[in-house]
Amino acid sequence: MPHDTAQRSVPHDAAQGPVPHDVAQGPVPHDVAAPGGASQDAVPHHERGPRSAAQAGAGAPPYGPVTPPHGPVGEAPHGGRAEMPHGPVGETPYGGRAVPPYAPAGPPRGLGPGGRAPLRLSPKVLLIDPVRMLPNLLLPLVGVLFVGGFSGSSYVWAAAGAVGAVVFALIRWATFTYEIVGDRLEINRSLISRSLRTIPLERVRGVDVSTPPLHRLLGLAVLKIDTGASGGDEEGKLDGVTLEEAERLKAALLRRVAVARARAGTAAPAGPAATAAGEAAPLMPGGLTGARGVPEEHSHVPSERTIITVPRKWLLYGPLSGAYLFTPFALAGGAIGLAFQWGNELGVGRDAAWQAGRWLWDRPYLLLVTVLLLVVAMPFAGGVMYAVFTWDFRLKDRDGYLVAERGLVNRRSVSLETRRVRGYEIVDGLAERRAGVVRAWAIVTGLGDSSTRGQLLPVVPRTVATEVTAGAIGPYRAELRPHPPVARRRRLFRAIAPWAAVGVLALAAAASSGLLLWWVLAVLALALAGLGVPLGLDRYRSLGHGYDGTRLSVRSGSLRRAQAVVERRAVVGWRIRQTWFQRRAGVYTLIAGVGAGEGGYPAVDVSAEQARDFPAEVTPEWLAPFRAEPPGPRSS
Amino acid sequence: MTLTGPLRDPAHRVSPKAVKLWLLEALIAFVIIVGGSGLAAAWVGGSGWSWVPAWFAARPWSLPAAVAALLTPFLVAEPFVRYSVHRWELSGDVVYARTGFLTREWVFVPVSRIQTVDKAQGWLERMLGLATLEIRTASHAGSSTIQGLDFHVAAGLADQLAHRAEELRDDAT
Repeated sequence: MPHDTAQRSVPHDAAQGPVPHDVAQGPVPHDVAAPGGASQDAVPHHERGPRSAAQAGAGAPPYGPVTPPHGPVGEAPHGGRAEMPHGPVGETPYGGRAVPPYAPAGPPRGLGPGGRAPLRLSPKVLLIDPVRMLPNLLLPLVGVLFVGGFSGSSYVWAAAGAVGAVVFALIRWATFTYEIVGDRLEINRSLISRSLRTIPLERVRGVDVSTPPLHRLLGLAVLKIDTGASGGDEEGKLDGVTLEEAERLKAALLRRVAVARARAGTAAPAGPAATAAGEAAPLMPGGLTGARGVPEEHSHVPSERTIITVPRKWLLYGPLSGAYLFTPFALAGGAIGLAFQWGNELGVGRDAAWQAGRWLWDRPYLLLVTVLLLVVAMPFAGGVMYAVFTWDFRLKDRDGYLVAERGLVNRRSVSLETRRVRGYEIVDGLAERRAGVVRAWAIVTGLGDSSTRGQLLPVVPRTVATEVTAGAIGPYRAELRPHPPVARRRRLFRAIAPWAAVGVLALAAAASSGLLLWWVLAVLALALAGLGVPLGLDRYRSLGHGYDGTRLSVRSGSLRRAQAVVERRAVVGWRIRQTWFQRRAGVYTLIAGVGAGEGGYPAVDVSAEQARDFPAEVTPEWLAPFRAEPPGPRSS
Repeated sequence: MTLTGPLRDPAHRVSPKAVKLWLLEALIAFVIIVGGSGLAAAWVGGSGWSWVPAWFAARPWSLPAAVAALLTPFLVAEPFVRYSVHRWELSGDVVYARTGFLTREWVFVPVSRIQTVDKAQGWLERMLGLATLEIRTASHAGSSTIQGLDFHVAAGLADQLAHRAEELRDDAT
């Protein structure tokens, strides 16, 4: 449907970041900014204005003494907003600043005549690339060898393929460079088409270092830079830097991010010497990293404090969480799939595979035993997988970032910017609740893939989780208020009725047809309906909401019970829903709109009084106008 | 029918022309659904498949007729119910809107948290001189869509909201 859309975008798309300045946004006229507002974090090459020009002029200092670093393109669309207030953090737009962001404090060391030195990935990554391509190459190679019948020419073809892969990797490595320029990280790729990704440092939400097995063998790491952009494509990824370089880059990036923000906030007075020497200070591998590009008052040793190291024996709680429980089935499925594929490739006919399957089908007890074995293996395999992924879990507080490290084979480290953390979610399943253990996730603004990346704690005792979340993010100090009894009736009805209906229908079918299958189905459904009674009661017990003056909390669920704790200031609106059925029961679902995590945290089946009073309690100034009758006659 | 929500009603109704809009939209959906079920019934009825009951094969028009009979009350009721439910208000720098037909929603969006205000018009809305106002925040649960506003009302409100949002800008999210 053609939509004639006249859009008014509120200037300053501070959806995620408080600082409106975004160089890369330059030529995009502000009035047509996407409603999402946050999708322009990482930007392709051609949208950069003055930087390219500066780069073209060899040796020209990209950041002249008085030239604002972001030139006319960066400034023009934002010019009209210089007087805009910028919230509690107090940043001023970049326009008010005539100082280059990173004037080196001293003479740059080890710079070429051009004054800049883009870096490449570690050459060791070349050892990984062909190996990584191996599975893709292997089957064609085997195919070539089989079809060609091991003749001389087929060997030549296979060798050509392998060489091609190596050359491709080599060219890719040679044409991939990265560099921290001023307040941006630039990633340059020119293998086929030239692309230059610019990531403004102040948009960096976190830096994620992981070491897959092959990388670890070679002392390499994968560095991912999270910008909070929606697509994974828009994030920065450096696949194959040395471990030291990864740590160094991470430290440098995070520090510079902090400084970029501080700068933007305070319009820091940089000395004239620093301004005169205004050259970009690219980072050199192994060189003096942080202090050089950063003025003295901002350079400091990063503080690091380990909040918790999860003891190994707590890995035993893993299977309780139900994570990875289906590993045995996944493995079996994968094995069968692989057997079919390879059977085909290697000339073992599909018929043989079918015959094997039929042979197994004819011996149902064997099939049953296999399935039973797989079921028995579930907690063990699940536990092993859990241990591998959450081995030696540490949560650290490093320079304004919460850093979670975990993993045995692939050691993963995720940094969450504390400034963007708005709360946390504590989750437990049925079995976990019996054992008194829980898991915890952080609720972070603009964090993609938050279910895996936002994890704060693996399965740990509840008291520990409460302590850690209270210490790292903030405590929640209030009771949860129960929901009205009508909610219990609704929970029970919803847990029982569907299965009861299926059971009754199956019973009727069984009575009329007499088929055994219907009887089995009827018994199963009625049993599930019976289980619905404790389930419904427990779901009702889980329901609750509360507010302690700083944070609000909502809880629901039984098989997976989740309690969210969110800061009051993160609430961006309220939504009250009432379905037709809820209207019959006189209850509402109250959703706190939060610009972080899942976007909304619902309190299910609250009474009319609670739906009215809770938002008014948390944000009295918003709800006040609507509690009384409107002044004057209605204009309806 | 009672409309009492947990809080008082928002002050303003949407434009009366919105009834026509919803009626037209419902009619279009009605024609598509009934027509689709008619086509499906004709196809199944004429196929001669063994599982098709004989009475249905003889009277394939019974399916669209049943569908039409089921949908007609909704078709008639929806525009009027919506007109009585849909209301909006801007007071104390908070947008308060109520929407819904079978499921009702009350949304409160403080102007200080607004990120974008869109004014959109579909072709039906253009024909009727109506507009839809989409008020977005960082959260989908805290965003509001007000349908069926008079075009000038929507334009004025969008302008007003955008200006106030600029003044009140709050970065806590």
